[in-house]
Amino acid sequence: MNIKISALIDGEGSQREFDEALAALARDPQACECWRIYHLIGDAMHGHDLLSREFGVQLSERLSREPAVLAPRAIRSRRERNRWVALSAAASMAAVALVGWLAYGPRGTTLSPAPLAVVSPKVAPAQGPVADAKPDVPARIPLPSAANDYLLAHQIYSPRVTLQGLAPYIRTVSDEVVEKGGR
Amino acid sequence: MSRRIARALLTHSFGAMLVAAAALAHAQNSSDPIEWLRRIYQATHNLSYVGIFVYQQGEQSETSRITRLTGTHGNIEKLEALDGEPREILRTNDAVRCYLPKSQTVKVDRRFDHRGFPTLLQGEIDGLTQNYTVALGDSERIAGYSCQVVVLTPKDNLRYGYRLWADADSGMLLKALTFDDKGRAVEQFAFTQLTIGKVTPAEVKPQRTTAAWHVEDAEVAPVNLEREGWSVESVLPGFRKVVEVRRTLHSSRTVEQVVYSDGLAAVSVFIEPLSAEDKPARFGLANLGATNIYTREVANHLVTVVGEAPAASVQRIADAVNYRQSH
Repeated sequence: MNIKISALIDGEGSQREFDEALAALARDPQACECWRIYHLIGDAMHGHDLLSREFGVQLSERLSREPAVLAPRAIRSRRERNRWVALSAAASMAAVALVGWLAYGPRGTTLSPAPLAVVSPKVAPAQGPVADAKPDVPARIPLPSAANDYLLAHQIYSPRVTLQGLAPYIRTVSDEVVEKGGR
Repeated sequence: MSRRIARALLTHSFGAMLVAAAALAHAQNSSDPIEWLRRIYQATHNLSYVGIFVYQQGEQSETSRITRLTGTHGNIEKLEALDGEPREILRTNDAVRCYLPKSQTVKVDRRFDHRGFPTLLQGEIDGLTQNYTVALGDSERIAGYSCQVVVLTPKDNLRYGYRLWADADSGMLLKALTFDDKGRAVEQFAFTQLTIGKVTPAEVKPQRTTAAWHVEDAEVAPVNLEREGWSVESVLPGFRKVVEVRRTLHSSRTVEQVVYSDGLAAVSVFIEPLSAEDKPARFGLANLGATNIYTREVANHLVTVVGEAPAASVQRIADAVNYRQSH
């Protein structure tokens, strides 16, 4: 699989190999890690500056605000060349989304995966087990299941409460936040 | 005052200078940002009020009602989540009770010293200026109240900054925004409606609980972690150790907790033994608005650091936690 990911990064290989590599990236945290490392190696070899930590988040956030990319049916019925262009575009979009996730990884509760519509079911399923992706150091993880207990125990000693009264405790009681984060 | 100045001018020029200096000092005092922090603190503690506020972090927002009754027999404050599960939190002088209807549970938490909640002493407010530049901003209107803006800008990137909106008349905090080192909002609390005064005892009672609910009462006792082989000294400039306790968490688990604070932000370190029955913990960083939670393993213990501080600060404190085998 690593060879296929390498080929995907270089823009080499067949369409089938592309599909397989993208599918693996969407599903397999190890493949994601491989993708990330290959890019790091590439950047280091080319002497590129590493992206700022916020880059991935900003990109993902902006992507999530973008309207869904719907491919008109007409494109599919056009000539093979056009279809290829559409598929490449979709693949690039999926790749960009993946780069966004991989560069930063899921940010607990605040960041949901970019709602990408995919042109063809054959092309990368964009929805994957994002929470399992292994992003940079430190690893981003969902809120621990005991987060509420820790927060409750913490807030009682926080001087913030002296300035603001009970309001900061709203962070403590959000059962749903923890559940969402634990997806 | 002007008549006195005039008189002084007529009688003695040196006396005039003294009186004028006193008048100037008085004027500066009323625009003293530290004085505004003191007013906010006093309003939070001395007023009775009921209001609706919105908490925002990232793309999430949550609406709650907060009710506070200040009385001769003590103070009671209630927070009700108006979105989602109808959870309630009650704070009395020495305890916080969290009513969770979904699990029919009351979680009770107390400070081990029974001294009540952290009070911001004179020296502590003044101490804030070691880590933050405190300045007054414009006047802005929030929820119908004309507010004075007070800005606390951190002197380094180890902590967040705060923008506070205080009612010009009462000092009541109407809005609070936490911002990061790039000036971006991290989280925000803002009243959309507030009535000061006129609160009855019935309004601060929990609404849904029954005697059948399960009560989880935390046991808290002081502890010396250093003596037990843990090195938990603060490595963040400006943060000092506030408290060190052993406590129960989630009714059954016993954890040790150390809290550091710079007078405004606080970071807690929780240490608990990892046992084989536990499901494997995930290590790394989780985020909830201005709160970062960093989890790692040290000497077969789970170390969880929770703080209203930037991720790098929380991680730095976590990475400094160490265990010496023998001592």
